[in-house]
Amino acid sequence: MGQTALLNLSWEQRRKLTGLLFVTPTVAFVTVFFIIPLIMTIYMSFHDWPLFGERAFIGLANYEELGKDRQYLKSLDFTFRYTALVTPPIFILGFILASLVRHNIRYIGIFRTIFFLPVVIGLGVSSLLWVWMLDDRIGVFNKILLDFHLVPKAQLFLGRPNTAMNVIILSVVWKTVGFTMILLLAGLQAIPDELYESAEVDGAGYFRKLFYITLPLMRRFIALALILSVIGSILSFDQFYIMTRGGPRNSTISIVFWIFNNSFTYFKMGYGAAMSIVLLGILVALTGAQLYVLREKE
Amino acid sequence: MKIRSFCLGLLAIVLVLGSLPLAAQDDQINMTMWVRAINFQTQELVDTWNANNDSQIELTVIPSAEFVTKMGAAIAAGEPPDIASIDLIYTPAFAAAGQLVDITDFVRELPYADDLTPAHMALGLYEGRNYAVPTAVDGSFMAFNVDLFEQAGLDPDNPPSTWDEVLEAARAVSALGDDIYGYWFSGACAGCNAFTFLPFIWASGGDVLSDDYATATIAEDPLVREALELYNTIWEEGLTPEGASIDNGSNFVSAFTGGNIGMAPLGNFALSLFQNDHPDLNFDIFHIPGKEGGAASFGGGDVIAIPAGTEHAEEAWRFIAWTLTDEPQIEIYAANGQIPVRLALVDNKYFEGDERQSIAASALAVGHTPYTTVYNDLFNDPNGPWLEMLQIAILDGDIDGAIELGQERFTQIMEG
Repeated sequence: MGQTALLNLSWEQRRKLTGLLFVTPTVAFVTVFFIIPLIMTIYMSFHDWPLFGERAFIGLANYEELGKDRQYLKSLDFTFRYTALVTPPIFILGFILASLVRHNIRYIGIFRTIFFLPVVIGLGVSSLLWVWMLDDRIGVFNKILLDFHLVPKAQLFLGRPNTAMNVIILSVVWKTVGFTMILLLAGLQAIPDELYESAEVDGAGYFRKLFYITLPLMRRFIALALILSVIGSILSFDQFYIMTRGGPRNSTISIVFWIFNNSFTYFKMGYGAAMSIVLLGILVALTGAQLYVLREKE
Repeated sequence: MKIRSFCLGLLAIVLVLGSLPLAAQDDQINMTMWVRAINFQTQELVDTWNANNDSQIELTVIPSAEFVTKMGAAIAAGEPPDIASIDLIYTPAFAAAGQLVDITDFVRELPYADDLTPAHMALGLYEGRNYAVPTAVDGSFMAFNVDLFEQAGLDPDNPPSTWDEVLEAARAVSALGDDIYGYWFSGACAGCNAFTFLPFIWASGGDVLSDDYATATIAEDPLVREALELYNTIWEEGLTPEGASIDNGSNFVSAFTGGNIGMAPLGNFALSLFQNDHPDLNFDIFHIPGKEGGAASFGGGDVIAIPAGTEHAEEAWRFIAWTLTDEPQIEIYAANGQIPVRLALVDNKYFEGDERQSIAASALAVGHTPYTTVYNDLFNDPNGPWLEMLQIAILDGDIDGAIELGQERFTQIMEG
């Protein structure tokens, strides 16, 4: 019976059915792992929802609480500052590396692999690695600085707010620059060589080619890399949790770190959910703005 | 048809494999036990139990700073351990949330229920019901290096008994050399400093919480400020290694074993560790003093409890009750330098002639243990107000700012 029903469908109907079948797995996946948790989070955010114990509907009280939470505002500020500081080096370095490994010359794969290698180790592992490299007694950085007499005594890199931020940025750039390099490399290689050749005939120098050919034609790739990088930075957690535990003086508590603390250490799941929803709104707005700025002009 | 037979075969394999553990399990009880930072006696208790009983216990060590988070997550996920050795300070919070098995009836049947350490029993009590019994007694005190004291011309038989004397001793030891320091504290460890810094305030008659544990008294009690000034002086004069400022507690005990530290406030757990791993360390201990004298200690340690949701509550209690009997209390606790949790057993053959043990035990007599359900949020949380206040006051020297911030954040948390 089912077979006859299928056979009776017109070509157009069957085409639609096929399309539906193709997207069903994705729709199911997104529903189970995104839509349902999202609705659940929104629901939780209107409740006093301890990790265990009684739950109570409290309306917008969690959201009102946000404005009074000094650490929440501090964490927002910190997260945006971190994002603003970590994004340019990842991009500039990623672009330089991509330019260096752009052409398919002999052994270039070795360099691409070396630059990409840190990307494939976990952020948790790399954070621990950096903690040891930055250690004041056994760390390699202090060893080098002391051997070259660049510092009078061992430095506690993770012990002061400014240096802690800087060395974490250094470690994250090292860890993620390879990924940006690959994205930008794909963009670079998509530009036909003829464009450069004719520009050279017209007498264009390196920077003219860069600003009038390379960057405009890479717009989509830059947009993708930028969005991924900014979202990753705003959602960062591991490096702060592992390298500084939010210290010193609670100066490196990112927004996700604070959501984690409230939800799982202070057991205020509803409050954590409210913060997550606000963060989601911020991310949607930011991503929309980036897409708008980097859109292809008709 | 090939696919069908393949599927049937796969099903058969899955069924056989799935039934194997069941067949092997029989009706043996397997229990899990969680403990924060391992003590010598815990592993030995579990090993001894496993060797002599049908039921088996698997011990998991959870880092102290993450214990509450992990325990909360495990309970919420419906996968709690069967037995938990919990920092006594958290018992009110877990009991209040209904996450521990009420063991009042079990406790009543214990012949030595009245002999168990009072601080632990008090913390294990919630609304008149028992939820935990003691399993590790840990009072804080000051350890000092006898050799360094002698080299510095200090009298090891007459250790410091006021804040000024602590400071003078730290200065004298620090003067011995570039790599020798008078004092150690773990500057990035919240819990360590609740355990060792609060007694300085208590011994002087001050406190950071009101007597009913309902409000914060950081801003109004001048002794809080003066104690912060003491540590700030120790830090600014370089009497402690610079690395102390970023120690998250991993060197809480080990720093002192290096032999270049004059004094370090520690607790009983360190005594058994030194005795087992560093028999050559020439150290002695004294009570943490008040400003003008007196003494205080943090009455700390672990209680043992049965998390709600376990299927093996009876067997878990059988293990717990056994740990309180004479044999393990003497042959496992005392033999490892750990104070028995039954007061009548503190005088035992292993402690005879070791004055350090009697000082450590007497620290319990001056012990304080705050009773509050938000203890973790206030004191032990690495991002909590306690550590932030200490760091701003001691390391940055901004004592006014630190006190203001501490008072505000404490109040915020205590008001919920």
